[in-house]
Amino acid sequence: MIPLSHYLLLSAVIFSVGVVGVMTRRNAIVVFMCIELMLNSVNLTLVAFSSYLGDATGQMLVFFVMVVAAAEAAVGLAIVISLFRNKQTVNIDDINILKW
Amino acid sequence: MEIKFLHIGILTWITFLPVLGMIVVLLLPKEQKQAIRWTSLAFTILQVILAVVIFQNFDRTLAGINSKEGMQFVEQYRWIDIKSTSWIGRIAIDYFVGIDGISVPMVLLTALISCIAVISSFSIEKSIKGYFALLLLLDTGMMGVFVALDFFLFYVFWEIMLLPMYFLIGVWGGPRREYAAIKFFIYTLLGSVLMLLAMLALYFSVTIKDGNEVIHTFNMLAMMNPENFVHGSLLEGVGTSWRYVAYIALFIGFAIKVPAFPFHTWLPDAHVEAPTAISVILAGVLLKMGTYGLMRIAFPIFPDAAIHYLYPLAFIGFINIIYGAYCAMAQKDFKKLIAYSSVSHMGIVLLGMAAMNTQGMMGAMFQMFNHGTITAMLFLIVGVIYDRAHTRGLDDFGGLMNKMPKYSGIMMIAFFAALGLPGLSGFISEAFSFLGAFQTFKWLTIASAFGIILTAAYMLWTLQRVFLGTLPEKWNNLTDINGREMAMLVPLAVIVIILGIYPSPVLDLMNSSANALVDFVKNSAGIAMLGQ
Amino acid sequence: MINQVLQSLPYIVPELIVTGTLCLVLLLSLMMRKKSDLLVFVAALGLFAALAVLTSQPFASACLFFKMTVIDPFSQFFKLVILFAALIVVLMSRFSDEVNQIKKSLGEYYFLVVSMTLGMMFMVSASNLLMMYLSLELTSLTSYVVVGFIKQSKNSSEASLKYLLYGAFSSGVMLYGISIIYGLTGTMELSGINQVLAQGSANTAMLLIGGIMLLVGFGYKISAVPFHFWTPDVYEGAPTTITAFLSVASKAAGFAMLMRALKIMFLDSSALEIGNEFWPLIHGIPVVEILSVLAVLTMTIGNLVALWQDNVKRLLAYSSIAQAGYMLLGLATISNEGYSAVMLYFIVYLFMNLGAFYVAMLISNTLGSENIHDYKGLGRRAPFLSVSMAVFLVSLTGIPPTAGFIGKWMIFLSLINVKMIGLAVIGVLNSVVSLYYYLRIVRNMFLHEGEKEEVAIRYPLAQQLLLLCLMVPTLYFGIFFNPLIELVQFSVQMFGIK
Repeated sequence: MIPLSHYLLLSAVIFSVGVVGVMTRRNAIVVFMCIELMLNSVNLTLVAFSSYLGDATGQMLVFFVMVVAAAEAAVGLAIVISLFRNKQTVNIDDINILKW
Repeated sequence: MEIKFLHIGILTWITFLPVLGMIVVLLLPKEQKQAIRWTSLAFTILQVILAVVIFQNFDRTLAGINSKEGMQFVEQYRWIDIKSTSWIGRIAIDYFVGIDGISVPMVLLTALISCIAVISSFSIEKSIKGYFALLLLLDTGMMGVFVALDFFLFYVFWEIMLLPMYFLIGVWGGPRREYAAIKFFIYTLLGSVLMLLAMLALYFSVTIKDGNEVIHTFNMLAMMNPENFVHGSLLEGVGTSWRYVAYIALFIGFAIKVPAFPFHTWLPDAHVEAPTAISVILAGVLLKMGTYGLMRIAFPIFPDAAIHYLYPLAFIGFINIIYGAYCAMAQKDFKKLIAYSSVSHMGIVLLGMAAMNTQGMMGAMFQMFNHGTITAMLFLIVGVIYDRAHTRGLDDFGGLMNKMPKYSGIMMIAFFAALGLPGLSGFISEAFSFLGAFQTFKWLTIASAFGIILTAAYMLWTLQRVFLGTLPEKWNNLTDINGREMAMLVPLAVIVIILGIYPSPVLDLMNSSANALVDFVKNSAGIAMLGQ
Repeated sequence: MINQVLQSLPYIVPELIVTGTLCLVLLLSLMMRKKSDLLVFVAALGLFAALAVLTSQPFASACLFFKMTVIDPFSQFFKLVILFAALIVVLMSRFSDEVNQIKKSLGEYYFLVVSMTLGMMFMVSASNLLMMYLSLELTSLTSYVVVGFIKQSKNSSEASLKYLLYGAFSSGVMLYGISIIYGLTGTMELSGINQVLAQGSANTAMLLIGGIMLLVGFGYKISAVPFHFWTPDVYEGAPTTITAFLSVASKAAGFAMLMRALKIMFLDSSALEIGNEFWPLIHGIPVVEILSVLAVLTMTIGNLVALWQDNVKRLLAYSSIAQAGYMLLGLATISNEGYSAVMLYFIVYLFMNLGAFYVAMLISNTLGSENIHDYKGLGRRAPFLSVSMAVFLVSLTGIPPTAGFIGKWMIFLSLINVKMIGLAVIGVLNSVVSLYYYLRIVRNMFLHEGEKEEVAIRYPLAQQLLLLCLMVPTLYFGIFFNPLIELVQFSVQMFGIK
């Protein structure tokens, strides 16, 4: 039996990787992937807690999160495509018409 | 005393008449310039008539200050009434107006100056519909400040004035009008937000009985009674530090309007850039709101703090007198000179108030009235010459005495009144103020009296530069003062002369109130000190 | 089980009407592509019907759908604000050239606006972290799309991507916070969490981390500093109608959620006394301090940066950040009075902010510019428009006799009541600063002459009527604010709390 803290630690690490990725990566697609990483680490936490507490709510939320993540990816990629048509780039540093 | 018309009291009429006028003006078509001018004039003349009615019917024996019974022409209606909830008591705000000896001279002054300002605005040509609408709105704001007895109402009127003033300076002003307008607006707003906080703190500290319910109130008269302060509230007790803080907040709010020394820098800018009529209103009425606020609100509500800070107040007055006079002496711009002379003269008001005795207080109140009329004249005089010569540089003129004899005569009266020549109204009020102040602050008053010498110096020097000497070639075709200008200057000159010889009509108005105010402040502070 | 669902349904009739409306709008747009007026009519009618049902509903208090949502005066109030804002925005969109240039997909536009409304209506009544997250995402996902709705515009799609990236990131952080709180307390239901916290067994440090992560999500929605970075870009890039909607309704929904979460989760109901200004809070969590810091940062930074904006929409974006700061001040008092002050502020804010954006939209329709320098001389060319803009801006500053003053007055009243003098002083000084940039717009309109020749700009009567509908309340409520205060004092009641 693996103790709860291992799951939590793992998901915390994945979450941090995701956060660092969002902060440092410049390609919009990669940033998206990092956000997905964050969401999935949350899923892991939720499932771990859910099984630890013996309560199903956490797992319920996991399903919703998966759905939302899918929807977010769909919307996000559509927006990236629309931007690419306008500017021929997906690099975040080039997206800079609007500033201060 | 009550005078009603259509079941509405006279104070409401005198306050909101200009708003009616504004609505009429807004309904008139833009092209009807004369109609707009004459409508505005009609409404302000009506206001003057009401002011005269008030003057006639005012009971000189009642003191007012802190009792509703002593107030006259009182109107009190519930304006906002929100039933209490489990976590906050009932919120009730009254439409509460009334006047006593402190406010009556100011009401008269406001009506008079507004009317004269309208006459002097006849020469405005640029979008006059907007101009007169704003001017009338400003009039309501000013009148409201002087009649309000509920702090919330007072605050609303106080703020209503700001916006019209901003536009009047900003749109119709001189070359640097934008800067002057925004500076005026930001300074006064800064002062009034501090006042707002003090007002809210007072609200939570004061309760009155309403029926069988105990409620918080914005009623100024209730705030003056120490027994109304809730036990354990912020401003309860005497001489506690929060009371000092609140007094200082109020003081800054009013001092910016006066303008007292460190806060005066908006005034020269605003005066120089404003059109003549607005300068007249600014100097004639707006500055008085600061000192009026101190007398009406700050002194009686915080007598302990007021007594405690008398010396600093007197000192600020002293700086105002001397500093204003020196600055005036250095000016080459006619209008700026008058602006700084205003700073100096308002210093006399502050000094007189700080004396905290009957003479001083009477002097201060009378000086407020006199300064209103005299400075209004001075600004009108500048306006007259500026309309003709399109310059205000003192050094550009000379020898006008022969060219414009009538003008010179009026100007002499105004200048001599301003420098305090006996026989003219300025002398009496200045003498009272200094007499009063001398009893309390000996050396400070002697030092301040030098201000009078300085005033005499720059006033006479100005007269000399403008009237004596040789007339420069370019002014050969200057015309003397015309009928419209006479219509606005002569009434003021007459008032200045009459009050100089026979001041009792105005002094009688304020006598009992000034006494009562001084007694009240001294007594409550004295009781407070004893209790400690 | 099915019984409870059926019993809950009658309480959510307004939401059902909105759902029906959005389906209808979508269907209509598929069937008749050319009839844009019909779309507006249907959307507006649907929202109006929902509004009518909402106001006619007795102000009931109940727990719905297995404690997922609640219905109480508090949520009803915010639904009112949101529906009203949505209605105005739909009407505004009818007059917006920016929106109407996309003839092909107008149906989707109205569909998205209405579904955003639906999401917000669920946000304000959610009483469970799960429901909060879902409704937040419903609102966010639709708003990402609608912000980037003008596909040809680079600004619009850029704004949309930024909105999406910030939004997805902060909702991820919020979700992690939810998972931590869930792990600590074993429940996602707000009142359940409160019960566990009241026992004091939860780890305070972890709770603090979870709470702050949760706050990131809320802070993003209400654009509080330091989670505000998306706001100026999105507000500038989005179609003006959407900017107006986001700045009012979305912010209202975010605030409602935050207020409910704060009160229900952290209120120590065992120590609650009637008549006490402060609520007792569960020990160990520095709610007041966090909110105060947030409020001070938000209004100060919002106001200071707004000073150098030249784009009117961007200026109003920073102003709306600052306004959120004032509202946070009300929250920081942690009292019913502060809460009701914030709610009052929202009614007022609804009129004045929508009004300001509406005028900006009308002006950009004719001038094709949102630059503050192009506003010069408008006071003569379009007097009615300029005067109403001046009224809205003065109201945003908070000067009587406009409604904005009453909003600020209530907030400062509540601050002074709980003796938070320092915060009140910072608040009033901020409103003095804000005067400067609001007046910059007024100054350009009235104090400057236009460079081009002065041709009067005429606006159709319908557009002026809508403007009047926003301006009259702004002035009226400044003088007669009795009904407003009574409404908010009634509406501050939440389900499950005295």
